[in-house]
Order: sequence, then structure tokens, then C-alpha cells
Amino acid sequence: MHGYRGGTGQIPALAGLTGLVLITGVAFYGLIGFSGQVADPATLRDPYFYGILWFSLKQAALSAGLAVLFGYPVARALYYLPGLWFRRAFLALCLLCFVLPTLVLITGLVLLLGHSGRLSPLLGPDWNLYGLQGILLAHVFLNLPFVVRALYLQLLQIPDTAWRLALLLKLPALTRWQLVEWPMVRGRLLVLAGFVFVLCFNSFAVVLALGGGPQATTLELAIYQALKYDFNLPEALTLAWVQFTIAGTLFALLGRLGGGSWLVLEQGGSQVPVPGRWGGLWHGGVYLLCALFLLLPLLVLLPVLAHIPASLRLLPLLQALWNSLLLALACAVPATLLAWLVLWPQRLAQLQGRHRRRQLLEWLSTHALTAPAMVLSVGWYVFALPRLRLEHWGPVLVVLLNLALTLPFAVQQLRPRLLQFDAQYAPLCAGLKLAWQERLTLEWRWLGGSLRAAFALALLLAMGDVAVFALFGDKDWTTLPWLIYRYASTYRMQEAALASLLLLGVCGLLVWVLDRERAHA
Amino acid sequence: MNKPFAFKSSALPGLSVLSMAAVMASPLSAAELTVYTYDSFVSEWGPGPQLEKAFEAQCDCDLRFVGAEDGVSILNRLRIEGERTKADVILGIDDGLLVETRATGLIAAHAVPLDDLSPVLAWQDPDFLPFDYGYFAFVYDSSRVKEPVTSLKALVDSDARVIYEDPRTSTPGQGLMLWMQAVYGDQSDAAWKQLARHTVTVTKGWWEAYSMFLEGGADYVLSYSSSPAYHVITEGKDQYHAALFDEGHVAQVELAARLKTSQQPVLAQQFLQFLISPEAQAIIPVTNWMLPVIDEVKLPPVFSELIRPRRIGFTPEAVAESRKDWIARWRSAAVKD
Repeated sequence: MHGYRGGTGQIPALAGLTGLVLITGVAFYGLIGFSGQVADPATLRDPYFYGILWFSLKQAALSAGLAVLFGYPVARALYYLPGLWFRRAFLALCLLCFVLPTLVLITGLVLLLGHSGRLSPLLGPDWNLYGLQGILLAHVFLNLPFVVRALYLQLLQIPDTAWRLALLLKLPALTRWQLVEWPMVRGRLLVLAGFVFVLCFNSFAVVLALGGGPQATTLELAIYQALKYDFNLPEALTLAWVQFTIAGTLFALLGRLGGGSWLVLEQGGSQVPVPGRWGGLWHGGVYLLCALFLLLPLLVLLPVLAHIPASLRLLPLLQALWNSLLLALACAVPATLLAWLVLWPQRLAQLQGRHRRRQLLEWLSTHALTAPAMVLSVGWYVFALPRLRLEHWGPVLVVLLNLALTLPFAVQQLRPRLLQFDAQYAPLCAGLKLAWQERLTLEWRWLGGSLRAAFALALLLAMGDVAVFALFGDKDWTTLPWLIYRYASTYRMQEAALASLLLLGVCGLLVWVLDRERAHA
Repeated sequence: MNKPFAFKSSALPGLSVLSMAAVMASPLSAAELTVYTYDSFVSEWGPGPQLEKAFEAQCDCDLRFVGAEDGVSILNRLRIEGERTKADVILGIDDGLLVETRATGLIAAHAVPLDDLSPVLAWQDPDFLPFDYGYFAFVYDSSRVKEPVTSLKALVDSDARVIYEDPRTSTPGQGLMLWMQAVYGDQSDAAWKQLARHTVTVTKGWWEAYSMFLEGGADYVLSYSSSPAYHVITEGKDQYHAALFDEGHVAQVELAARLKTSQQPVLAQQFLQFLISPEAQAIIPVTNWMLPVIDEVKLPPVFSELIRPRRIGFTPEAVAESRKDWIARWRSAAVKD
């Protein structure tokens, strides 16, 4: 029935997957090998540990819930009102917000909603940015845009026939939603919620800065502390196992729950019901509010441009920008290709109806997301330092680790579209006995926008990297985020703000160029 | 335990053989001295580039800085590399990490006479050499805060909005912890609780706190007594001041040391000696924004206007012993209700 055969096509893909697992494996091996201990059970007997575990779970669950709750109506607005203004710019903004550097976000939020923030007077005397509300604001700001984009793309996949049928049967709006829309987004909503949960579960600089004190502590902070200030590797490992287990289990569960909604045979778009007057107003209002929410913390930073410090020198800034671009390219190109490659066996498993296998492969290809990033990089640092000359291997490791960290995002971008391709064309390709080159051309053309979006996301994420560069980077060969860190850590806050804006501007430009909406679809 | 001279003389023959090998391998290269330090020290505005130029002018060597993220990262790199480390000198560990750094067993005595050091430091350690220091202090904007508090107790009891750094992730945060411990002793839990009531937030690192403060996010931010000098010299702004507290201030002393494994012990010692020379000491304060460790240094006038607190605090040994305990107390007491 299916034309795809495993055979040799799978070998490079499985090798790539093994490579990914090895990257994580080496990191843990590095830590275990150095400390001589796999874990330190004493860590789990400390009530403090349960306190921060509970807080990590709570803030992550709330952040994920809110991001999905608010993201869904915005995605619907984009879908039902195709004539929205600045739609493409909005979608680009969404990608940009997702990769916003911490310093920029914190500064923006403080300027807007802090004690003397622009909007604070409107919020009454009891308003306080710091606390759970601040954490949730920041996390929703970072993740809601991602949810919006993903759900919007998902909605685009509702087949026209479904709408035509609904129209024919004169289904009322609620029933339409129940029968046509909800089944399409349900699975994706869950997966996205899980994804945002994992990202927020791993967050800590934002949590601390906006949380207001030690009551807002996540597991990731404890890992940071153990790895860095205490250099207590067994403790760090124990915490990492806990985090890995929780996030990994959740991911695996969601993979099972969220699968199976991609078997769409055609793409829709032309038969989307036009909302009535009130519906249109609602969608327009939601869209406007979301755009304001995303734009204000960024716009409030612009006055920085008015006072450019005399000490600012352009050349190092441009040099750093160039370095960042090179590094990000070196990471994003292989990340995108590898993402496509490791999806191969998953698609095959899907076609063959081997769902367990597909889930396992899915989990393996995105597992780096659930492993604490700090553990990955420090693990490799411990492993590499005595074995390799960092002067030579540093850049390679920066690329390798960023590749491992960005790949899951690229996989996530490509997966739905590729599964859709298979559902639609696999039998046809088999029937036509297309040569692999021909099929590949067809597939890449089909991927189009998704491929560019995956590439853009990997590029942006790699461009924003500080954590990996801090350990492995050659500091004479500064990247832009590192320069921002340098500015900020030597009192040069204005330069840091300017450089952040430059980074943001360039990222915005890249997104604009790369992420063209699939108008042709 | 440390026998600097015995070590030096026994290392010297090895040194000459090695340098001969080096000479044969590449006849034109001068001896290389590798110094591990933190990144902002070697950034273009940090002391690194100027110090390198000044030292290379007198040593006939190639001084190579390797920048780690921060002081703790230098120590961790040493811990991981162990005997295989390529560092000849480490620079930028602070006195709070002295005990842990010594415990690596990699540090050799500096063999630098300490007579020139400022008496304020009362420095006697045979292994670690101070190259700058600073007092932790709460910085305020005098255009907003007209009557600054004059003691830690007054600050704690006030309702001024305060931002400080987390002692689990930052050096100034640990500094405040020692400060509170030195001033309040057993009563520190209650004081932390009191402070938490008007703490705006606690940040991961110094720059988050400081930039939030500059954006008007707080009345006081935990920083250094020398912070105002930066604003005067680089920005021409004179409204930022450090509050002088009656109880005294805790200091952070930044240290350099050389390594037992160094192939360049003489050069390393020469570099340490250079670090506390008037030439180097005139560079460091205006690039690293800390205070010089010797007294006779020509500095911009603003340095004489900085507060001169009485120094209080603990020995590095006492800090190492109680740190864990104090952090645990902080993290349960400083929680907001």
C-alpha cells in the first residue's frame, strides 16, 4: 500500500538521531564521569527542593495555560479575518517575540509596567509588576506568539470540504466549531501547551527578576546554583534527572495525546466562513489587543535611540553582528537539514501505522528540549575541557550544542507539514513510481514556507545564544548577545539597550525576509 | 605548607629545558603567559588591553588573557582541568572564593612583598594577591532620594524600594548576605523578612538589578561604593551616590594567584608584582571601577569623593564554613508573604 520503504533511506536519519542522543549522552557522561556519582539522593530529602519543584510546576502550568487560552482566539482572528491589516508583519513579530533576549524583555516590562512605568498609573495603586503576575506576563509574552503562529497554521489545514459541508448543512456556529474546528486544533493545543510548559519550566532569569524574591525559584535556578556556585555535580545531576523525567514524561504523554490530527488530505483557505459583524469585531479586537500587548514592551524601548552615547563605537557592534550571523548560519543550516532528516523514520512509522515507534522517534528527536540546557552545556564543558583544546574546538562546540538545542524547534515546525504531505501524496508518489530526486523536489516545494520558518527559528534561536557561547566561545570573536552581556556587565546599559535593539532589528529583518506567509497555499 | 622558594628553584631547571624546547620549536616566539580571568576584565573597556600593553613593554613576553564568564567560572575551569590547566595565573577570584580555590591544591605562593598594600586591606595571605577591591554599597539617585539612609538598619526598617541580587547566583548578593549577617547576627532572619517587605525584586545578576534601578525601578540598588565614579567619568552624571552606612561595609577583594603547574613561574611572579605596581593600579580603577590596593595612586578626583566606609565582615574561612547555612536562612526568611 505504501510506497515508502525503509531500507537505506533510514540509515542517515537514524545516524542523525543517534548523534542527537549522543550529544545528550556525552553531557551526562561528562558530569557523571567527573563527579563519580550518578546522583545524590540527599538532595531529594530537602523540603526546599519540593518547594521549588512545586513552584516550577505551578508557574509553568499557569504560563502554558494562559498562553494557549489567549493564543487560541488570536489564531482564530487571523484565520477568520484574512483581510487583517499588517498580518504578515504581525506573524513576523510573533516569531521575534519568541526569541526576545531576557534583558530586553525585562527592561521593556519594567519601563511599561514597573513602579514608574508608562502604563502603571492606569492599573491603580495596588498594581505591582513583581510576583507571579510578572512572571506570567513575561512568559505569556514570550510564548503566546508561538502558540498563535502554530495554531493559525493548524487552522489553515481545515479542509475546504469540511466548511462546504458545514455550509450545506447550515450548521450553527457552535456546532461548526464543535465538528469542524475543535477536532483540528484540540490535539495541537495540547502539544503546544506541553511545549510552552517545558519552556517555562526551564526558565529562571526572568522568573527571578520579575518574581520578586526567593519565593519565586525554579528547579533550573537550583541546577544553575549547583553547577556554578556550588560546583556540586551530583546535586546538579539529581535535579537534572528530576527535571528531565518530568518534562520528558510530559512530552511523551502529549506526543501520544496530540498525534493523529494531521491526516488531512487537502488544504483549505478559500471556503472559510466569513464571520458576522459581531464576530468580525471580536476577531479584530482580539487581534488589536494582542498586537498592542506584543508591541508596547518593544516600543517603550525606542526612546533609547534618542540618546546614543558618545562612547558607542559602531565597528565592534557590526563585527559582533557579523560573527553572530555566521555562527547562527553554521547552526541553522544543518539544524534545518537534520530536522528534515530525522523526521524521515517518523513519517515512515506513521505511514506504516506503527504509532509506538513514531512516538518514540518523535520523543528522541525533540528530547533536547526537555534536558536542562545548562546541563547540556556544562556537561560538554566538563567532558571537553580535559580532552580537547577549546581554542580550536570551541567554535565547533558552540555550533554543535546550539544545533542540538535548536533542532527540536525546527523539527516541530516541519513535522505537521511533512506528515500532511505524506497523507496527501505518499500513495500518489508510490503510484507514479517517482524517483527519489523527483519526490524530494516535490516535497521541498511543498514544504516551502515551513522550511523557511524552521530555518528562521533555528537561526534566531542560535543568534540569541549566550549560555553556550559563555562557556565555549572565543571571547576575541564576540557575538552580538555576548557584546550586550559585556556592555551590561560594565555599566554600559545604554549601549546594551542599543545593541539589543540592533539585534532585535536584524532578527526582525531576517524573519521578514525568510518567513513569507504561504499566500499561495 | 607552601614553600615558594623551594618550588621556584626546583621548577627553574624544568623551565629552562622547556623554554629551550620552545625556542627550538619556534625561534621567534617570546615566552607566553596565560592568564585566566573574567570576561569583562578583558573586554575593550576593561583593564585587560591596557595592562597587557604595559606589561608586555617590560617583560619581553606574550601575555594572553583567557576570559571566563565570571569569577566563579575561573575557579570551575580550574577544578575541571586540574593539573592539566594551561593557566599560569588566575585573576579575578574574590575573597569569598579564596578557600575553595586554595582547596584545588593548584595554587602556588605569590612571593610578592605585601608591604605596599593599603593597610585597610590588612592582607596577609601568602597565596592570593589582591589587585583591587570595593565595598558593597547601596547606590541611589540623589535627584530622587533627597535624604539617603545612613545605616543598614535604617534601610531595612525603611519602606524604600530596594533591588538586590540573589546570593545563590551572584557575588554582590553574597556580599549583602555577609553584610546582613555581620550587622544582625542571629537576628538576621527577622531583618531579611523586614527587608523583603519593601524589596522590589531579587535578580540573578548585577546587571539586571542595576539596569532596573537605572530605569527608575527602585530607590536603592545593591552595587559597589565605586559605582558613582563610572557615571561621573564616563557619562558626566553626578546624581548617583553610594549611601554610607554607620555599621560599616563588607568589602569584596579581588585576587590574583599563580599556579603550581605553571611553566613560567618567574614570569607569573613578575606579572603579580606588576599588578600591584603604581602603573597597573592607576589603570584598574578607571577600567574595572574598583578601588586600588595601594595608596599612592594618581586617580581622577571623583575617586576621592567616594565614600570611605569602615570595613566589617568575615574571614574567608568563616565565610566558607557558614555560607551554605546563611543561604538556607536567606532563602526561607527573605520570602515575601
